[in-house]
Amino acid sequence: MHEQDQMTPNERLQAFIKGEKMDRILAMPILVSISHRVAGITHREKRASAELQAQSQIDCYKRYGNDLMIIEYGLHGVGTALGSEMNDPEDSLPAIVNHVLQDLKDIDQLDFDKTKKENDPWFAKTLEACEICQEKMGQEIPTGVLITGPFTAVSSIYPTENLLRATRKDPASIHRLLRLCTDALKDIYKEYIQRGIIIVMCDPIASGTLLRKSQYIEFVKPYATELMNHIHELGGMCCYHICGNTTKIVMDMVDTGPDMLSIDNLVDLEYVKGQVGKRLPILGNVPPVDVLMLGSRSDIFESVKTCILKGKDSPKGYIIASGCDITQNVPVENIDYMMEAVRKYGRYPIDEALLNDPATNN
Amino acid sequence: MAKSKEELLQQLSDCVFEMEDENVADAANEYIDAGYEALDGVLKGLVDGMNRAGQMYEEEEYFVTDLLVCSDAMYNGLEVLKPHLPLDQDADAVNYKCVIGVVEGDTHDIGKNLVRIMLETAGFEVYDLGRDVPLISFVEKAKEVDAQLICLSTLMTTTMPGMKEVVEMLEKEELKDKVKVMIGGGPISQAYCDQINADGYAVNAIGAVTLAKELVGMA
Repeated sequence: MHEQDQMTPNERLQAFIKGEKMDRILAMPILVSISHRVAGITHREKRASAELQAQSQIDCYKRYGNDLMIIEYGLHGVGTALGSEMNDPEDSLPAIVNHVLQDLKDIDQLDFDKTKKENDPWFAKTLEACEICQEKMGQEIPTGVLITGPFTAVSSIYPTENLLRATRKDPASIHRLLRLCTDALKDIYKEYIQRGIIIVMCDPIASGTLLRKSQYIEFVKPYATELMNHIHELGGMCCYHICGNTTKIVMDMVDTGPDMLSIDNLVDLEYVKGQVGKRLPILGNVPPVDVLMLGSRSDIFESVKTCILKGKDSPKGYIIASGCDITQNVPVENIDYMMEAVRKYGRYPIDEALLNDPATNN
Repeated sequence: MAKSKEELLQQLSDCVFEMEDENVADAANEYIDAGYEALDGVLKGLVDGMNRAGQMYEEEEYFVTDLLVCSDAMYNGLEVLKPHLPLDQDADAVNYKCVIGVVEGDTHDIGKNLVRIMLETAGFEVYDLGRDVPLISFVEKAKEVDAQLICLSTLMTTTMPGMKEVVEMLEKEELKDKVKVMIGGGPISQAYCDQINADGYAVNAIGAVTLAKELVGMA
């Protein structure tokens, strides 16, 4: 446990769920793409080893005392298992260079058995990383998995630009792909849930920045809803995140039935609280680039303060988080500042005078 | 009764605006068969339709998918009209040239493609270097074609520093005043633009066109 905290993340989360007293507000900065920096290794070293994936998260927790460790299955896993080709950068997140499906006529040739843990070494490695996290730290802190939602899974199989076109030109094929991906994801999610892992479902390609609301409702919502139901049937828990501007689809996102909603910094926390705060806890939304990467210590304090001011009275609870994943270009000490600010402004009982005083950012 | 030129132009514009990418070639052939100038067909027909689509995008009535299909229609129509365009360019006309691409290390190119489409629609001569482009290529291409503008895009924070490097290369070659640099993409902001001494940042493809025109002094 972090020396300045009085509760472990597990105790804090349990208190949060039961509505009991906590020492401070829950803080779940998404420390995925930065974690190898905290551990002092390269991205390639991290992704090559289950031990190092787990260790990177443990190192983050030991340094920051954040409330959730997150192992990365990632956004491309389904596609790469099926045969999409990735690049292999030494020290950066890999990207897809060649999608396995180039023509929607070839959907039948995709072999979804390849996405099972027995056949996909990446999936197996992340499961092992989760097991290590649980074994070493499970008594103290929960572990989640950052994993693709249905629409982004399709984009890991078929190029995004063509996928977007096909929502107009060939919606039936896109629904077929979504059906196949949803079924595959059910089996994948199950493995994590059986290991006690929280599902952090991320569907960035379903963003309001790319899709209009009617497209979200037609192509994402039914499949996300099915996955949420599946997660709950298995006794799991899901935090739902979509990048970019989701202002117009926030109600629909909550209709799918997640346990928690994580919002990007492009969305106003106050607005989301008003819309859905009565229905579920909200996570957000310190800007990961403009504040955490490019901002000063004082900017970070100001941003944390603003988030807590907006979120603290959300009816079903508020968890401070980054608006999106925190990348490796964020100085590692900036997360120290973020957590320092959380412990200052988010300590219970909340000190309203401190929170409302403009001159306390240091 | 045969359709008037205005009706046919409207039809071309509507084909683009209403995403009729499969009907636009017929409309373009009908326009040419009626004997009207191809250049008007492009500018007052297809480009007009794309501009209307851009306007709707700005008003959040159209989304990325819509713009993509509209642009497919525009390019399908262009394919028909292009062979009929006059070959001799106006000698006095200024050609505004722009080099565009996604910086090295990043392969996300939808945003870049939208900006390219809208810049072409606005009349820029665009040299698209694609995605994951070696940084030196931007400078070399700009020198080769005598471009006034370089547009850099990235969705990843890991590749953002590449933008700064391109600006520095231009400074080193004393081309910074001659070639403007415009940046955009998910993690990019005006603050970052100022920090790396780029000439401008736009939040989306429509804003990019306004900015590009401003930077090169296009009327």
